Amino acid sequence: MAGFTQRLPPPRTALLRSITDPRSTEVLDRGLVLWFPAPRSFSGEDSVEFHIHGGPAVITAVLQALGSVPGLRPAEAGEFTRRAFQAGKLGLTEVEGLGDLIHAETEAQRRQALRQMSGELGRLYQDWSDRLKRCLAHVEAFIDFSEDELIEDGVLNRVDVSVRDLQAEIERHLKDERRGERLRGGVQVVIAGATNAGKSSLLNKLCQRPAAIVSPIAGTTRDVVETALDLGGFPVLLSDTAGLRDSSDLVEREGVRRALERVEQADLTLVVVDSAHLPSEVDRAAAFLREHLSSVLPDTGRCLLVLNKADLLPEKQRQKLDMELRGVSGLPAVCLISCQTNEGLKDFLTVLHSSVKTLCGDPLFGAPTLTQARHRAHLQRCAAALAQYQRYRDTDLALAAEGVRVAVTSLGRITGRVGAEEILDIIFKDFCIGK
Amino acid sequence: MGHESNGVSNRDTPSFNFYSDRCASHMLRKKLPFLHSLLSPVSRHVGHLAGHQYDVIVVGGGHAGTEAAAAAARVGAETLLITQKIHTIGALSCNPSLGGVGKGQLVKEVDALDGLCGRAGDWAGIHFSILNRRKGPAVWGPRAQLDRQRYRDFIQSELLSTPRLTVLEGSVEELLVTEPNPEEPGHHRVTGIRLANGSHAISARSVVLTTGTFLSGSLFVGQTTSPGGRIGDAPSSPGLSHTLRERLGLRTGRLRTGTPPRIVKDSVDLSLAKLHLPDSHPTPFSFLNTHTHCKPEEQLPCYLTFTTPGVERVVRESLQLNCHIQQDTKGPRYCPSIESRVLRFPGRSHQVWLEPEGVTSDLLYPQGLSMTMPPDIQLRLIREIPPMRRAEIHTPGYGVQYDFVCPTQLSPALQVKSTQGLFLAGQINGTTGYEEAAAQGLWAGANAARWALSMPTVTLSRTESYIGVLIDDLVSRGVTEPYRMFTSRAEFRTSLRPDNADLRLTPKGFEEVGCVSSVRYQESLRVRNSLQDALTALQALFLSTSSWKKKLPSVPISETKSTLLTGLDLLQYNDVTFEMLASAFPESLSSYMEFAQRLKIEAVYKPHCDLNKKEIERIQREENMSLPQDIDYFSLPVSLSDEVREILDRVRPSTLGAATRLEGITPAAVVNLLNYVRVTEKKKETHRNQRHQEARGILKVNLSEKKEKKVRCREHTLKF
Repeated sequence: MAGFTQRLPPPRTALLRSITDPRSTEVLDRGLVLWFPAPRSFSGEDSVEFHIHGGPAVITAVLQALGSVPGLRPAEAGEFTRRAFQAGKLGLTEVEGLGDLIHAETEAQRRQALRQMSGELGRLYQDWSDRLKRCLAHVEAFIDFSEDELIEDGVLNRVDVSVRDLQAEIERHLKDERRGERLRGGVQVVIAGATNAGKSSLLNKLCQRPAAIVSPIAGTTRDVVETALDLGGFPVLLSDTAGLRDSSDLVEREGVRRALERVEQADLTLVVVDSAHLPSEVDRAAAFLREHLSSVLPDTGRCLLVLNKADLLPEKQRQKLDMELRGVSGLPAVCLISCQTNEGLKDFLTVLHSSVKTLCGDPLFGAPTLTQARHRAHLQRCAAALAQYQRYRDTDLALAAEGVRVAVTSLGRITGRVGAEEILDIIFKDFCIGK
Repeated sequence: MGHESNGVSNRDTPSFNFYSDRCASHMLRKKLPFLHSLLSPVSRHVGHLAGHQYDVIVVGGGHAGTEAAAAAARVGAETLLITQKIHTIGALSCNPSLGGVGKGQLVKEVDALDGLCGRAGDWAGIHFSILNRRKGPAVWGPRAQLDRQRYRDFIQSELLSTPRLTVLEGSVEELLVTEPNPEEPGHHRVTGIRLANGSHAISARSVVLTTGTFLSGSLFVGQTTSPGGRIGDAPSSPGLSHTLRERLGLRTGRLRTGTPPRIVKDSVDLSLAKLHLPDSHPTPFSFLNTHTHCKPEEQLPCYLTFTTPGVERVVRESLQLNCHIQQDTKGPRYCPSIESRVLRFPGRSHQVWLEPEGVTSDLLYPQGLSMTMPPDIQLRLIREIPPMRRAEIHTPGYGVQYDFVCPTQLSPALQVKSTQGLFLAGQINGTTGYEEAAAQGLWAGANAARWALSMPTVTLSRTESYIGVLIDDLVSRGVTEPYRMFTSRAEFRTSLRPDNADLRLTPKGFEEVGCVSSVRYQESLRVRNSLQDALTALQALFLSTSSWKKKLPSVPISETKSTLLTGLDLLQYNDVTFEMLASAFPESLSSYMEFAQRLKIEAVYKPHCDLNKKEIERIQREENMSLPQDIDYFSLPVSLSDEVREILDRVRPSTLGAATRLEGITPAAVVNLLNYVRVTEKKKETHRNQRHQEARGILKVNLSEKKEKKVRCREHTLKF
């Protein structure tokens, strides 16, 4: 990391350094580095502190770079404090309330884990955990009982298949876990809509510079215009696309094809509509927009509806529209704006920010990215341990089982602990064990 | 070595050859004495024992009791073993076998601590096999079928020739309990026992209860129930249960177990069962033995057969006549009766092993057919199994229900926390199995002796032994059903192997516990040093892959590896044996040939054990932080939730390590406890220093006393 190829900085001196990923030598951030040789550190052991910028992308990148250094892993809840205790570093007064602090921390982590666990990801991990536990129970049953009992030979073969599948699934998951990538590479936000709705104007408004050419002529934007921006700490990759219409122009047709491709890959699509095209009867607006959306989006992915050119509408109709379209079922959030007068832009930015935030997890306190880095580390250890099972499967079942045990513990650190008794319960449920 | 060299082979006065001549020439001709002549002088009249002061009294002569009494005497305590019938000492009440997967590890560990059961198994075994042979050495399960008579003979002769150990036939009426020593934690103190009929009191500084299934025991056959601990034996006195519950306030629970009918061998058509042969080269349990008493070719086979749908029908038809099975008392899940097997897994065929009961026995033991229905229906049931179509029952099966003491009330030394000097071991703590009982007995006996001799009690960590796993599980989690050892219970299974039990435990047993003879200790040091030297020699062989290929042409060594490999690396290869390396490098390796197998195992497991080391050290650090037993958790001035306080108060974990493993204990609670321990330890230390300065003179006297005791121990151990 920071200048590790050079010599260590002097102890307890804050130095400004480039933080570099040891794998890619890419500079991740510039920040303060502090070196505390043992025993004069918080935990009494050799420690380094990195003071880096608080953006989730930077934190994630640095954590992952650290995780790639052999022998480094994320600390357990309260581990630093525990080590400090064990080294006798903490005095009585310092200790008061520390337990409560840790309690608060772990409680928050638990709640956060729970929140994440209630979703799709949680069900996935729980499913893996259940399958792994069953694998372990069956291997353990084979070790502890197969000499005395009728345990069919097929048991281990089924475990082999499960372990192979699980390992493949976990590795795949580690590769295309979108959230982490979003934080590293930015959230893909695509502006799409009919021609001349004001998509390029919106792009320029958002990046506060004329990145795209704007003109009253329909079909001005032909190719995808990309620009990176920081939206309240989140990296966003904003793309402006060609207006969607049937065209005989070959170049424009290619532009439309690319636009649709971008929409398909987008994390979030901003569908821009010219307010002037809305039906004049306000109560038909919702139906119109629903139909319009389905023509732009292949499926109802994540999107926001941006009704541009609101300044062209009479004040009365604008207010009525605003009322009518709030929280209509089958429609995403709707923002009424004007790129001309900046009307509604502030509200739109708030909505956009919260959508991006949801897509990146909830990094309000920096904790979710941390959790995810920890998850990643545990999942990697889990996958590696499953490889150990396969390596020793035929030569030493005790060492193979050790692999599954480590895998279960690693996953258990995400989903909750697994005890020996639980494994025994599965054994007795699944097998006819008698002496 | 071997039986051939003895010249005369005589069944009645067999000789038994122990390990290498290097270690113990005086052990080479150990002879079993004539039991009848030895038993007769043992006093059945206790008159002259009354008023006698013992260091340790052990109640019960089963697996726990015999190990406890022998261990206490080895540590140096004047020990009295009291049992209802002397001739049932060392009896195998249930199955005629020892060891197995997980249990074999316990036998090896008991042996490493100089206990009896491993050597008794080597003496009495008539069918040896290593279970799990193809599943990796960490989970190998050494096991033997035993000759009941020979096992009993060995245990009895061992006990009767143990110095400082007296055996007394009698029944204990109650415990003598008095006020506690105020300087130690606890509400009561045990001072001895009172015998039934005659009301003789015998005092002792500590008492080990190993009452097995006899504590409020009742026997069940069909619809009849009778008090008893084993067929033909009365239960222990109701006074004893009363003292434990009422006087000492101990929480107890009730468990059940059972045993199968014994079958007349001649009435079974064994040609209809599957022959199961033992290992052709029997492997002894004991680290001191290279041979078993039974010659390889003299071993007896076992037979395997299966239940039929008829068996299930008989069970179902007789349910209303079977009151044991209708009770909801907890029975073992892994050693269930045939009734619960067919009821839980209907429509299946279940294994039944037909095992020999001994060389001269006319009986077979049908393992898997534990049952409690009326005897005539038992006969109907076994006749549903093809080889037993015409079988006769010698003794019917029966069930036992008995009291156990919830083991969370014990310390890791197996001492009752509330009662100074009272130790419990075996089924009374809710376990099942000979090996589990023997392991606890040894540990409780050694600690009872240490307590009586004013030495600090000792504990075994779950990171270093299966015995530690067993005791920690019992005292920190308690039991809800009879507890049996499995390898899956040991977190550090790859480090706690049967092959290295001596390295793990023998030095500690001698240096810290005092329960190991110096002969065995010296032998373990020799083994340890040789293994270390051999591993160093292997690491010193540092060759390029091409040189290795030349030296070992038959081994597929990948050419792409241009790196240097050590002999230790090579030994980790599947198809490389130590013998191959030794013949390639005779000058540096051939002197270690006797350890060929152990070295191969060490090499393969070393990387995994090294990985475990850090975690083991962390747990051991936490286990070394003891929590005082007299803490009032409800008023402890640290931040703990009521729920956590309640759990801690109920279980009273002995160490911080045990506390972290309790369900419902949060990391925050552990940190607060950690702090508390640190602060109180600091206080104690300053206090100790003060006292130390005040009373240097007194301390000197104490030290010389301790020295004397140590000398006493040594004397004994040399006299083996």
